This record gives sequence, C-alpha cells and structure tokens, in this order.
Amino acid sequence: MVDLSVRVGDLRLKNPVVLASGTCGYGRELAKFINLKMVGAITVKGLSMEPWQGNPPPRIHEVYAGILNSIGLENKGLESFLREDLPFFETIETPLFVNIWGKNVKEYVLLARNLDAVERVTAIELNLSCPNVEKGGVSFALQEKVFEELVGRVRHSFTRKIIVKLGPQIFDLEKAIQILEREGIDFVSATNSFPGLAVNVDEQRFVFSRKVAGFSGPAIKPLALKLVYDIVSVTRLPVIGMGGIVCWRDALEFLLIGARAIGLGTVNLIYPDAAQRILKGIEEYLDQKGISSLEAIIGKVR
Amino acid sequence: MSEARIVEKRKLGEDYIYFVLREPVIASLASPGQFVMVKAGEGWDPLLRRPLGILWAEDEHFALLFKVVGRGTGILRNLDCGNWLDVIGPLGNSFSWNDNGPFLLIAGGRGLVPIYFLAHALFKRSLPFVFCVGFKVKEELDLLQLLEGKNWNVAVACEEKDEKVFCGTVLDVARMQLRQNSFSKIYVCGPHDLLHSMAVDAEFAGLPIEASFEALMGCGYGLCLSCVLRKKSGEGYFHICKEGPVIALEEVSW
Ligand SMILES: Cc1cc2nc3c(=O)[nH]c(=O)nc-3n(C[C@H](O)[C@H](O)[C@H](O)COP(=O)(O)OP(=O)(O)OC[C@H]3O[C@@H](n4cnc5c(N)ncnc54)[C@H](O)[C@@H]3O)c2cc1C
Ligand SMILES: Cc1cc2nc3c(=O)[nH]c(=O)nc-3n(C[C@H](O)[C@H](O)[C@H](O)COP(=O)(O)O)c2cc1C
Ligand code: FES
Repeated sequence: MVDLSVRVGDLRLKNPVVLASGTCGYGRELAKFINLKMVGAITVKGLSMEPWQGNPPPRIHEVYAGILNSIGLENKGLESFLREDLPFFETIETPLFVNIWGKNVKEYVLLARNLDAVERVTAIELNLSCPNVEKGGVSFALQEKVFEELVGRVRHSFTRKIIVKLGPQIFDLEKAIQILEREGIDFVSATNSFPGLAVNVDEQRFVFSRKVAGFSGPAIKPLALKLVYDIVSVTRLPVIGMGGIVCWRDALEFLLIGARAIGLGTVNLIYPDAAQRILKGIEEYLDQKGISSLEAIIGKVR
Repeated sequence: MSEARIVEKRKLGEDYIYFVLREPVIASLASPGQFVMVKAGEGWDPLLRRPLGILWAEDEHFALLFKVVGRGTGILRNLDCGNWLDVIGPLGNSFSWNDNGPFLLIAGGRGLVPIYFLAHALFKRSLPFVFCVGFKVKEELDLLQLLEGKNWNVAVACEEKDEKVFCGTVLDVARMQLRQNSFSKIYVCGPHDLLHSMAVDAEFAGLPIEASFEALMGCGYGLCLSCVLRKKSGEGYFHICKEGPVIALEEVSW
C-alpha cells in the first residue's frame, strides 16, 4: 500500500487532493458523484457576510482548453451556509476549508470571527482578488498596506489555520510572502484564476459585462506552475498548488516542484469524480516506481 | 457518470442528428424536461461538457436530438453506431402536470426535444394535448419524421414558405389553438425570443405556462453557478441546471 498522506505544516491530510473553491459548490452537490471522505480537504464556494447575487449572464465562456468565468462571487452568505450546509459536514470527517471574501477589511474580520466559533472549520482561505470598495475598487492583493492590514487583522480574529490565496496579480511576491510569514499565516494557496478577456466577434462587443473574467483550466497550467515554483522558492510556508490540473500527471508536476497539496478546480465541472481518478493515477505511478510514500517525491524537482 | 452506447443514428435535414443510446440507468430515471451533460471528444479541448435534452426514454434506451452549431456538436455529429458517449444524467427538474387537460404544447426549433418527451408521457397517460411545433426554415421540416406514426394532435408552422404546412411562426398556430379550445396549462421550449414573446403577449396572460430554458452551462449539476436567469420576484437568479431547466414563465424577469 502506497502512503498518500501529506503533511501541510502541522496539518496531516490523508491525501494531497483539495477541492478548490467555486468548483465544488457547498459540498453536497458533489456528494452525489463522489464520496467526499475520499479527498484530502474540501474548500467551499467563497462566502461573504451577506448573500451576494453575482454578475448577470453570460457568466462562462469556453476558450481553447480553458474557461473564462464571471460568476461575480455569487454566494448564499455566511448564515445560510452555517444553517443549510454545515450539518452535512458534521457527517463526514474531511477537513473543511472555507473560502471568504469581503468588500473591505472589516468584512473579512467579521467573517473570520464568526467562523472562529465554528469548530468544524479546519481553515479559512482568504480570496484577495475581489475589489476593495473602500480603496477605489482595486483588489486587496495590489495594495501592500491594505494587504498587510488585512492579513494581520484576520490573524488576530481567527485562532486556527489561515490560508492566503494568491493569484498572478500581486504588488510584490517576495514582500507579500514576507508579510504572510511575519503575521503568522499558515499556508499559501496558488493560483487563483488569471485575469482574461474575450471578444464576441459576431456582435463586436466584449463577451462579459465586466469585460475581464477569470481564466482557468488546463490552458493556464504552465503559468500556474511557474507561479507556484516562484512561491516555493521564497518561503517555507506550505503551498497548496493549483491551476489547470486535470489529470494525475498535472498533479504530480505541482508536487514535484514543491507544492505540499494540490487543488482541483475546473476539472470538477467536467468530471465530478476527478479527485478519485487523480488519486488512483498518483497511487499507480508511485507503485510502479516502487516509492512507498508520496512525501518522498514532494519538491524533488527544484 | 456513464458510458452510453450509440445503437441508432439518423441524420435529419442538414443540421440535426438523432441518437438512440443504450444506458439503462439514465433510461429508467429520466423524466420529461431533464437533460444530460455530454463530453464531446476525448481530451481537454473542447473542455466543457455540452447540455442536451432527453428526447425520449424507454426500457434500457434514451434518445438525443441535437442541432450542429459549433465545436462540440460538430464532434458529436461524427460519432457512429457502436461508439460510446460519456454522459452524466439525468439532470435538472422536469415538467409537472395534473390529470386535467387539455394541454397546449409549444416547441420552437430544437425546443422540440423536451416537449416531445412530455408529449410521450401525456399520451401514455391518455391525457389530451395539442402539440404545436414551428421551424424557421423548410429544411427543419425533416424533424417531422420523428412525429410520423404518432397518434398525436399536431399543428405545424414554418416561417419559410412550404406548400405542405402553415406559413408563420409557432406562436401563430398556438394562438389559433387558444382561440378554438380552452387549455388548462401550456408548456413551451424554444429560443429565448419565443419565450419572451409569450411572456409579454396578452393572449397567453393568466394561463399557467411552464417553460424549459437554456443557458451556457459549466457543469450542469450546481457546482459553478454559471447558468443563471433573473428572477422576477425578489433579488437574484434561478440556476437553470438545478432549479430548472423547467421554470414557470411568470417567475422570470425579462
Ligand atoms: C438544458 C439544455 C438543454 C439543451 N438541449 C438541447 C437539445 O436537446 N438539442 C440541441 O440541439 N441543443 C440543446 N441545447 C443547446 C446545446 O447545449 C448547445 O447547442 C451546445 O452546447 C452547443 O455546443 P457547441 O460546442 O456545438 O457550440 P459552441 O461552439 O460552444 O457554440 C456555438 C454556438 O452555440 C451557442 N451555445 C453554446 N452553448 C449553448 C447553450 N448551452 N445554450 C444555448 N446556446 C449555446 C454559442 O453561444 C454559440 O453561438 C441545450 C442547452 C441546455 C442548456
Ligand atoms: C466557476 C469558478 C468559480 C470560482 N470561484 C472562486 C471563489 O469563489 N473563490 C476563490 O478563491 N476562487 C474561485 N475560483 C478559482 C479556483 O478556486 C481556482 O483557483 C482556479 O480556477 C484555478 O484552478 P483550475 O485551473 O484548476 O480551475 C473559481 C473558479 C471557477 C472556475
Ligand atoms: S451549470 Fe454549473 S451550476 Fe449550473
């Protein structure tokens, strides 16, 4: 038997597969297709304090081997999540990560405080790509001062694990990582979707009402790998690597360059049982190579 | 998730393909209005599955009918008997009915698919209905082959002139039916414009109308929140793959 468990800081996951936020609903939707006990951890759709209705359609557009999405962070709000979905998670042991976002620092802090009271939540994951309404709509990841204030204040409001999710747009990667280390953030996840654009040629207009949308899927994998490689180069914080993973080979690329766990996003939309397929592939690979534990290959390609 | 084997393939007109698939689980669970998500080709490009309505389901088989419009349906068109189709389903909700007819069924173009399945179900239960079906171009009249031998009350319209059928839109024939008979409920599927026209047309006002909607879909089973349609009352959206595709027309904001 190959040991697929991984250490992510002082958290032990039974395997490295984490379901990424926004692509596994609030858990139950996927439970019709796979046994959620099988995955290392699950990250639910980004929550805000109040329900948020998101962007008008169209919200999705397929490009070559990828998608652009403009869901606009639609979610049911914290209270409905706790009432409607948390009981389901009480029935399974899988670590639960809750992705959160706010329109200002205060909202993140409020969410963190509320979730701190919910034992079942293993970690919160901060999505920083949304616009900060108090600072002219620029994302939290682009302003060093706000970034620092945000992670510091959330750290004081939440006593368990905090994951900060980074994307390609960050004011300065090395400086940002230093802030995360200094403030006592536990893990980094990367990458969020890439900003992308599509034009409707027939109607000579932008496809999305907000023009820019989030680009994900296999097409972004080399970009995501490079970003994860760079992050692993500058920090000892455990990294959950994601972006374009659709098969076990993709997953291994991230693990080999040093990610300690991997996130599955877009692939869940196409194969709801992707987590199982990928785990099986990793297991067979290790078995064939005569390697008894996944830990042995993490970071082997640097 | 299942592998469904193509056991019959027919080309109808230039653009439509009809498949009969063997997949006992989907066949036994499917009800009118539901759809499946189909993987077009292996590999990751095109990436997303394509939503296709279920045309009928019986014993161990179900059927699909699709119009070739782009990359995904272009790939599906080339499959043949004996090939396997990777499908997830049945998904979404279905039409609802009580035992009072008669019902008015309205189908525009490829909107024929869920309405056809509904007609099957109503006919089986000996519930009375009139099936109005309309096409934009003459060539689509080849789809009428699917209605041959059915003992249904069918009214056909085509916007392009053809000596055999009424020239006009499906709404023209539906309105004629409304004036001649009284119906307890209306069911419709077709292009967005058709649904919109019905929502604002005084002749249809006051009658309960169940419509089957389409949207671009990322997953088809409630994960991605991409398949939205604005609600009339309150704020927010219906998610067509979960709360639909069948939604009461009056609950939608235009
Ligand atoms: C619930 C549901 C049931 C459907 N049932 C049927 C059916 O039974 N038969 C059938 O022929 N078609 C049906 N459709 C539409 C079908 O899904 C699209 O035609 C198909 O996905 C197009 O794929 P493509 O790769 O060939 O086109 P693409 O290359 O992706 O696009 C070509 C064109 O089709 C449009 N299109 C793509 N996806 C959709 C969509 N989901 N809805 C509307 N337009 C779309 C695009 O905007 C573009 O203009 C259904 C759609 C939904 C949501
Ligand atoms: C439809 C959709 C919705 C998403 N919603 C969120 C979200 O709410 N919060 C978040 O941090 N990331 C969100 N993401 C980003 C994914 O979690 C992931 O970081 C990204 O898609 C890259 O991975 P992938 O290429 O495997 O999809 C979303 C992605 C998709 C495709
Ligand atoms: S298509 Fe993904 S939620 Fe409806």
